[in-house]
Amino acid sequence: MAKIIRRAPETAFVPQPDDDLIICRCEEVTKGDIRRVVHAGLSTTNEVKRWLRCGMGLCQGQTCQRNFQGIIARELGVSPADIGRITGRSPVRPATITTFAHEVTEQKEA
Amino acid sequence: MMRHDLIVIGAGPAGLSAAIEAARLGMDVAVFDENARPGGQLFKQIHKFFGSKEHHAKERGFRIGEDLLADAEKLGVAVHLNATVMGIYEGREVLVKHEDETVHAKADAIIIATGAAENMIPFTGWDKPGVIGAGAAQALMNLQGVMPGKRILMVGSGNVGLVVSFQLLQAGCEVAAVIDAAPRIGGYGVHAAKVARTGVPFYTRHTVVEALGKDRVEGAVIAEVDDHFQPIPGTEKTLDVDTICIAVGLSPMSQLADTAGCDLVLDRKRGGTVPVIDEYGETSVPNVYCAGDAAGIEEASTAMILGRISAIRAAEKAGFLGAAEFTARADEYAASLSKLRRGMFAPQNKGRTDMTETDEGYPLSKSLLAHGFLEPNEVSAFPCATVHEVGVHPVIECTQNIPCNPCQDACRFGCITVGDDIVKLPVIDETKRCTGCGMCVASCSGQAIFLVDEAYEPGYASVGIPYEFVPVPKAGARGHALNRAGAPICDAEVVSVKYTKAMDKTVLLTMKVPAEFASEARFYRD
Repeated sequence: MAKIIRRAPETAFVPQPDDDLIICRCEEVTKGDIRRVVHAGLSTTNEVKRWLRCGMGLCQGQTCQRNFQGIIARELGVSPADIGRITGRSPVRPATITTFAHEVTEQKEA
Repeated sequence: MMRHDLIVIGAGPAGLSAAIEAARLGMDVAVFDENARPGGQLFKQIHKFFGSKEHHAKERGFRIGEDLLADAEKLGVAVHLNATVMGIYEGREVLVKHEDETVHAKADAIIIATGAAENMIPFTGWDKPGVIGAGAAQALMNLQGVMPGKRILMVGSGNVGLVVSFQLLQAGCEVAAVIDAAPRIGGYGVHAAKVARTGVPFYTRHTVVEALGKDRVEGAVIAEVDDHFQPIPGTEKTLDVDTICIAVGLSPMSQLADTAGCDLVLDRKRGGTVPVIDEYGETSVPNVYCAGDAAGIEEASTAMILGRISAIRAAEKAGFLGAAEFTARADEYAASLSKLRRGMFAPQNKGRTDMTETDEGYPLSKSLLAHGFLEPNEVSAFPCATVHEVGVHPVIECTQNIPCNPCQDACRFGCITVGDDIVKLPVIDETKRCTGCGMCVASCSGQAIFLVDEAYEPGYASVGIPYEFVPVPKAGARGHALNRAGAPICDAEVVSVKYTKAMDKTVLLTMKVPAEFASEARFYRD
């Protein structure tokens, strides 16, 4: 498990020219959104995910996690290994409630 | 609840190999794959694989996939398609989404062989239609028969970027450039060389900064980067492309291992977050294994062996395989694996930039690493690549230690030797005769063997090249010979086109060029 660092960046938030760059396409979260919440005190991948929903869309973080982890880590001046990852939990792929409602409990004969 | 001896998640090279091995030992195996067709990425791979015979070398990837599927079917392995494993629970129970139902299944052992996903890099306009993963481009071309675009920028020069670039060319697309932020090309030199000789430029130390266009990609801006990979202002170039392919590496899909409670670690050498595993692929959760790219990014050839290793371990623990037989097989597979994990591209050498010589002590080509082609003065350092005999004979432009040896078996006169250590460069025995049959040319997965006859006709030489494009020029056609950099250097006439079934879609195209170009002419264009 990654060590939890309680540390906001010491410098003030400075806007960057590419802050409007979309990082999480599914939930349309920008680089600026992520940098701002890090400056507001969030410091783990899971926290940023819960606050901004990046990594909670169709790709479930498979495309964006690596990139937004990098942004958080750079902002905090730490390694991506230090800020943890999105917890993998079931369902690891998006599923509709219908699917869960159709639970097969009896063994089907092949 | 379905119960099995073994559940395999993922029907790619690792998963199918694991299932076949386990079924052969008498285990009741169920394979779940979320895709509509099995084979993982194998069916997209239309190029010939590296390695030796035991690793299916010189076979095209999709054929290996067909063989694996046939084996699985013969053994009665149940491969469930459109079946997404959504989680692994205590007691090795899995929850599977199948069509619009959820099904529970349980097994004594689980092998996670879920593979990897493509990395993306964000840049201005990267969310426009026309920016796609290289693997997606490959799926469009080779599975759906759809051209991803007309003019392509390939971002990333690892083997995926290089192989897909070549396949885009084969599909009839133009590749405007292959770029890489690193100072050197990441993939095999032979893969780069076959792209470069068609005229595709390579830009190392370059990145893509913007996808131009209103609603879709209508151009790309690339720029040189500094030592910190930051674009250097003023170095921007605009390329006229309609598609930007991203091939900047893969990340293991390890979420299922996370749901199972396996210890995970962020390991850059293995490509990202992966489960901690032992030599058999067993995770920190007993009887839950991880094999193939999901456990660390490598080649399909290694994934197939890793799947088998996990399967025999699971079989041994469940009593389907005796201890002595297990040890014998485990040693055999470990030996097969170590043959592949050798050379400058082996996992342990990933990211190394300090290598300057081959194992044989020949200087590595700097031009090949920077531009994708060998400079004439560099070629002469390699005996196997040197033209120096009267009569037709092979010229093998194999200059990096890559584990591969089909050329050795291809020559029935014993002209080519690689030896037991398959990572060594081939050695040509000049005393053995060459009939110009072209089997070595067709067997070389790197398309690096040419047949050269310096004294074909007075004043003319003949150069036989591997050719994998359609339409194949006919004998008598006239065009130009291109050098290794893809620049036209002289007129050329196609004097013969040779093809047999054993050459497996690689044609030996022989062209006549003025004698002074014998050691330069390496591609033909009408």
